[in-house]
Amino acid sequence: MQPLANVTPLKPPPRAGAIEVRNVGQVFRTRSQDVVALEDVSLDIKPGRFVVLVGPSGCGKSTLLMMMAGLRAQTSGTITINGAPIPQPDPDRVGVVFQEPSLFPWLTAEDNVEFPLALRGVAKAERRDKAQDMLKLVGLDGFGRRHPHELSGGMKQRVSIARGLVQDPPVLLMDEPFAALDEQTRMTMGDELLRIWATTGKTVVFVTHSLTEAVYLADEVIVMSPRPGRIVDHLQVPLPRPRTYEMLSGDAFGALRDRIWRHIRKSA
Amino acid sequence: MRAKTLRHLIVVGLIVLWELLPRAGLIPELFLPSLSSTLLAGWNEAAEYGHALAVTLYEVAVSMAFACGGGILLGAIVGSLPRPRLLIMPMVSSLYAVPLVILYPVFTVWLGIGSESKIAFASIYGFLPTMLATAAGIQTIDPQLLLAARSMGATLNQRLVRVIIPAAIPTVLSGLRVGGALVIVGVVVSEMLISSAGIGYLISRYRTILDSPHVFAGVLLVLFMAIAFNTAIRWIERKAAIWQTGMRAGQNAADEIGSGAMQPAT
Repeated sequence: MQPLANVTPLKPPPRAGAIEVRNVGQVFRTRSQDVVALEDVSLDIKPGRFVVLVGPSGCGKSTLLMMMAGLRAQTSGTITINGAPIPQPDPDRVGVVFQEPSLFPWLTAEDNVEFPLALRGVAKAERRDKAQDMLKLVGLDGFGRRHPHELSGGMKQRVSIARGLVQDPPVLLMDEPFAALDEQTRMTMGDELLRIWATTGKTVVFVTHSLTEAVYLADEVIVMSPRPGRIVDHLQVPLPRPRTYEMLSGDAFGALRDRIWRHIRKSA
Repeated sequence: MRAKTLRHLIVVGLIVLWELLPRAGLIPELFLPSLSSTLLAGWNEAAEYGHALAVTLYEVAVSMAFACGGGILLGAIVGSLPRPRLLIMPMVSSLYAVPLVILYPVFTVWLGIGSESKIAFASIYGFLPTMLATAAGIQTIDPQLLLAARSMGATLNQRLVRVIIPAAIPTVLSGLRVGGALVIVGVVVSEMLISSAGIGYLISRYRTILDSPHVFAGVLLVLFMAIAFNTAIRWIERKAAIWQTGMRAGQNAADEIGSGAMQPAT
């Protein structure tokens, strides 16, 4: 009998949550001219990292995120998630959270969380169990029966995160998820997100306008320039975890934020 | 709760006044026959009214099917595809400003004075608001919801069944409410103009011989028909589990139609 160790697995082991962006470009063709939205963007994101994309409006950071989600095709270059390209959305690999919570108003919170599972025909009981687990994870235990209009902005975004995670994808993409929230809710949601991230070990790619939010949340910050969108800096955030409110006023925090700000000011 | 009681009191008050004022001789019977003589007139000619009601209900039902079915179908096409929208919408909008009742004599020439001409007229009359509301309902679906559904791997069919249709229901229902009411108006008005049967025909025939109790008995029947229709639509709305936010969107569209922004010229 052959020793097990010599048996070649059919598939290479999944590099859970690894994202590779290779020479990606995006050109929007309009009648009068071609607009280069992204130019030669390359990026490696290791599994389990919390990576934040920042940059001025129109730098293509959201476009890049939509490409990672399989919601938009790039003009050139390749993007792989777990080693395979992503020509269309694949909720088994990637969950997406948008700026608007985008919950279906006619469904309850738990039905919203179950929605991706319902699309795949998962049995009702299993769906309900998973939705309950997810709602518990995002701190909404007991709110499952409410409709979106009965929830606050922060709670809606929590439901949206629960929905993004319900199929247990290794990657969670977030497109300015807290931009529409007020300052206090935004701070709380940041801490909540870090807690969820720490519990689940997902790779998170997070787009934001806020420099403070970027440094506070991230392991790595990627700074992009406006049209044509390019990566101008890729910095590590060496602050210890868990992040605390006191760090916001520390020197290390300020130095990182200043460095990002100088890039953005230059290009604005 | 108090507003509801008050509303009921007002209705009861009006009914009592309807009985008392003509009886006391304050209003001549020719202008307003008392409630009891109206009901009695209707009762005495129950067979005639019953037959007329059957004719009218049949015309309303068929017109409703044409107006609502056609309105929803064409509204969905026009709402979801930009090219037909560009072609059709300007035409429909200007058609909406035309007093369609001028077409009715033409329909009687084409289709005769039987039910067919009424059905044709009422169908077109109720079709327009249903179609416009459905088109608006589909067009105003938040594209973000469709994007979110796509990110979760929803196929085109799933997006249609699980997102587009439920999101459009409130606006479509508000269109049905207006369209259905106009179907009833269309049938009764056309019966009053040129016809040989139906409640509208009875009303106008009794009016020419100044038989007010019989006229009012017919009016009462039309009133009940309209109320029954409204109750049915409300029941459907409740059954369709209208959610708060969707309800508001539908309500806005209904208000818009009701406030005259989309009012047809009769």
